Amino acid sequence: MVPSRPWLHGFLDLCLLAMLGERSDYGYGLSQRLAASGVADVPGGTLYPALLRLEQQGLVEPRWASSESGPRRKYYDLTAAGRAALADQGADWRRFRDGIDALVSASVGASVEGERR
Amino acid sequence: MSPDDWPARFEAELLRLGQHPARARALADETAQQAVESGTGPDRLFGPAHLYARHLVSELNDVPPGPAGGGPPAPGRVLLRLRDVGKRYRRRVVLSGVDLTVRAGEVAAVVGANGCGKSTLLRICAGLTRPSSGAVERTHRVGLVPQDGGTADWLTAAEHFTLFGAAAGMAPRRARSAGEHLAARLAWRPAAGQPAQELSGGTRQKLNLVLGELGSPDLLLLDEPYQGFDEGTYLDFWRQVAAWRDAGRAVVVVTHLLHDLRDVDQVLDLGSRPGGRVAAVAR
Amino acid sequence: MTAVVVAGLTLREVTRRRAVMVLLIGMPLAFYLTRRDLPGQSTRMLTLGIGWAVATLTLFVVNAQRGVDPRLRLAGASVTALVGGRLLAMTAAGVGLAGGYWGLVAVLQDVRRPWAIGPLMLVSALVGVPFGSLVGALLPRELEGALALLTVVAVQMLANPEGLLAEVMPFWSARELGNYAIDATAVSDLWRALLHAGATWTLATGLTVALFARRLRVARYPEP
Repeated sequence: MVPSRPWLHGFLDLCLLAMLGERSDYGYGLSQRLAASGVADVPGGTLYPALLRLEQQGLVEPRWASSESGPRRKYYDLTAAGRAALADQGADWRRFRDGIDALVSASVGASVEGERR
Repeated sequence: MSPDDWPARFEAELLRLGQHPARARALADETAQQAVESGTGPDRLFGPAHLYARHLVSELNDVPPGPAGGGPPAPGRVLLRLRDVGKRYRRRVVLSGVDLTVRAGEVAAVVGANGCGKSTLLRICAGLTRPSSGAVERTHRVGLVPQDGGTADWLTAAEHFTLFGAAAGMAPRRARSAGEHLAARLAWRPAAGQPAQELSGGTRQKLNLVLGELGSPDLLLLDEPYQGFDEGTYLDFWRQVAAWRDAGRAVVVVTHLLHDLRDVDQVLDLGSRPGGRVAAVAR
Repeated sequence: MTAVVVAGLTLREVTRRRAVMVLLIGMPLAFYLTRRDLPGQSTRMLTLGIGWAVATLTLFVVNAQRGVDPRLRLAGASVTALVGGRLLAMTAAGVGLAGGYWGLVAVLQDVRRPWAIGPLMLVSALVGVPFGSLVGALLPRELEGALALLTVVAVQMLANPEGLLAEVMPFWSARELGNYAIDATAVSDLWRALLHAGATWTLATGLTVALFARRLRVARYPEP
């Protein structure tokens, strides 16, 4: 499932920043990690523009490095601004997630209660 | 659709959309390389070249909404600013007290009856005439499309491209190729060997437009550029203005016809009498 | 270099104006043919005709490119590149014209110093270029400019060669050189002529550049 555009924009940037915070990677590698994590199978036409946008905003920095299989690849690193953005967006996300969690648990609890009655 | 032309078509569409030639080349190379690292052909990975080009440009211009983004997009930087600008010839006051600020991604229309100084204002913006009073600040990268006479009668379109390209520091072949791309955007294929004076009025204006844009300026100054246009070309012209705006350029159009106001961000009305203090009104 | 591109395109532009080219190149020939019986006079007329033809061609070229000049300036061209390119192109054309007619005279006429005919015509052409450019800078319309050039050439032809008026005219040097080449006068004529030609050329070129620099001034506004 690929989430709809506005959601995906915000979440995708966060995911990319988070993955790069863990270790730097190149475009295709990020795409594979994203798929493996179960978040979404993001097509190249969505992932690469997002990476370029992050680069434009100064949150990531590219560097060229040779890979094992030969051709040089463009690896991305988080910049200081990127780390700051990751921290901010991560905090936003946790707030958001916890808030929804609370609401959903409350409603599940209520319906369970309701069923029990 | 062979995978080999995909990068070329991609780059061509980027140029069409107003990207700076160096940037278009860089993006095309990068995108080709991205396809290589994914192990698929670019048209399988990204879809048709021209559609992906448009998608990429609009993505790069967007500020991401959602939990992380938010707030209105930051206004582009100021590319032209007129403060209390006036112009007089001997004792005749042509302009006075004009204030105008145009930012990247904005279109400003200058309107007013004939003779109230619209063309003079544009010449002041370009720097061909100095204002008698007031201050002007302007980016260096500017293109001018005058009302008429801005071409050399005896040179062909391609030679114009070479000439204007050379003035901007471009090599002849690149200048001609850029010129042809820009012409294609206005649905025009310049015929080889046809001097400018043999072009019809509408086509001559298209040449004018292309020459104004050839050096990839950040600010475009246009003086009633669609006299002699037919309906279709007129609409193409406003689509072109919208494309420039979306690509982050600033456009100032002197006009006495105001088209669909959607595309115009502010209107400066010089009024039916010269003189009189004016400031632009946002739409 | 921008000046080279301007020069190349200027030459192309000029060669496209077939009728003008034919008339202007043919005019010196007409001058020559009318007095063909007098070798000295005909060569002198021819030389004057060359100078006039080159000046008029340069005038037309300068005026034809007036419309694009401000835009080229805005695009980043310097005044020297624009003016210099045109002068370069027309000088090349003048050299070609002079060379052609030198060949003609050398074959058909019998003069005292045939080797000097070449430089004679060359000087006339070289002086013609900045002079035509200057007239073009001063008189923006082709008709007025052409009439002015015609007047100058007529005065040059008709004025008493010893008088002050003739000396002040731009093509006086060609006349003096003509004396040297055709009538084999003293060497001092040669040096005086070259000096006059050099001075005229420098003055005309300098004034042209100054005029265009003033007219094509682009205000340097600060970035916002």
